Amino acid sequence: MKKISLGYIITIIWSLLVVAIFSTFPTGCKVSQKVAAKTGAQLWAENCQRCHNTPSPSSFSHEQWETIGLHMQSRALLTDAERDKIVDFLKQ
Amino acid sequence: MRFHLKMSSTKYLVMRNYRHHQIVFLFVAGFAFLAPASNAQQIIVDSSLLDRIATLEKEVADKKHGDDHFMVAGLATFGFVANNTTIAGNSTKSNSFPDADHFEFSPLLLWRHGNKFLLEFEPSFDGSSLGVNWADVSWFAAPGFIVRAGYLVLPFGTYSKRLAAGWIDKLPTDPTGVADVPPTTDFGVEIEGGLPLGNMKWSYDVAISNGLQLMPDGQMQSAGFSDNNKNKTITARLALLPLSNSSLEIGVSGMFGHVGDEGSSFESSKTDMYALDLNYVKLFNPILLNIKGQYNYIHVNDQQYLNPADSSSYSFDNTTKTGFAQISLRPTGVSSKWVKNLEVAFRYGNYTTPHSSLWGEKTDVTEFGLLYWLSWRTVFKLGYTASKSASSTIGLEGVKTVSNSFFAQFAIQL
Repeated sequence: MKKISLGYIITIIWSLLVVAIFSTFPTGCKVSQKVAAKTGAQLWAENCQRCHNTPSPSSFSHEQWETIGLHMQSRALLTDAERDKIVDFLKQ
Repeated sequence: MRFHLKMSSTKYLVMRNYRHHQIVFLFVAGFAFLAPASNAQQIIVDSSLLDRIATLEKEVADKKHGDDHFMVAGLATFGFVANNTTIAGNSTKSNSFPDADHFEFSPLLLWRHGNKFLLEFEPSFDGSSLGVNWADVSWFAAPGFIVRAGYLVLPFGTYSKRLAAGWIDKLPTDPTGVADVPPTTDFGVEIEGGLPLGNMKWSYDVAISNGLQLMPDGQMQSAGFSDNNKNKTITARLALLPLSNSSLEIGVSGMFGHVGDEGSSFESSKTDMYALDLNYVKLFNPILLNIKGQYNYIHVNDQQYLNPADSSSYSFDNTTKTGFAQISLRPTGVSSKWVKNLEVAFRYGNYTTPHSSLWGEKTDVTEFGLLYWLSWRTVFKLGYTASKSASSTIGLEGVKTVSNSFFAQFAIQL
């Protein structure tokens, strides 16, 4: 019996992910009302803590939050709407 | 008596009216006298305020920020390690202050050009040399479409790109093998983005870079600034966040390319590498549960290698497997400030390098950590690491090494 390598298994998982994502394209890449209604505070709590503690808004100035927003968007791969809402919340 | 009372009452009324008129007269006269002075004072005050406003406006104009913004962030990690290592029954003890493998001082320079461009440069001093973690420029071209070029952190798994910083990592050490096998910093171009998907979210990250270089013993290192062949390496990661609260993220990565020097005996060598990563963070009040894991599979097609000991030719299955699973718990929902800043962490890691190579080894690492958060980005960690490994190299198989280490570490994001 031919041995199935881990590479093949991962390729299959990857393919399934691609199919799952692209099969939803008729409605995909559109945000649901539930997600669109989220506030900046909610997105801040949900997304920042995926990697580190939630930052205090007082830690940086408004301009610094704008810069950090771009930096973190590319690290955590936030959507543009998430970045804008989170930065607006942190600037309050 | 009654008449007297009546006369007295009339007199009283006349007198009262007279006094009332006197008061009204004095008030009107006083107002007429004081009004010009009051108006003059008002004009003086207004003039003073206008001068002050004009001065402030000038100060604001002088300090007005343009579209560009420059700032310095970064991180520093410092600590102590005491170690006891036993190799084939012979023990040695050591301690070091700071812990030599985990000292880092890395200022991060961020330069934003409007809202479309960001330059990132992170030099790093690790105690012995000054290097660069990354140096790149990003263009936020469109929603969900970021283009980056320069010296990049490649999208292979998530540990190197997101979790390696001392103030983010829950334990004092990197997971064995995951942080630097394969090398994940390279010169190239990258496109990436995060996009909504109904209640879910997904992200893609694709990089084309110079790639890796196969060494004479079968290990790989970064090819560096000048590519060692004409082929370019593709690294890609696709991730799905299936829950609407973004608490779960599952990612799959791959890295493919030729790794041999052009014109060398390794010219036909190529690699296929895969990584699986998982991240789950959710508050089960009062406990914040944090689970992370990554598994790397690294393979190079069969090649003939030269044994430097006797110049003989040999081959082996050049497959390396490494991974970790980590859980940490923090009681963020309790009222006690002291208790809610505590966190406990556990991690298991495994690192298996090719059997019958010159660097064959199987290592199991178990780590415990106790953290105290001084702020959201400042942490003091105590850690204990137990490592057991057995060699599987040519001619030296089964040599066991046991290593126990105690860490005390301070990490901060600046």
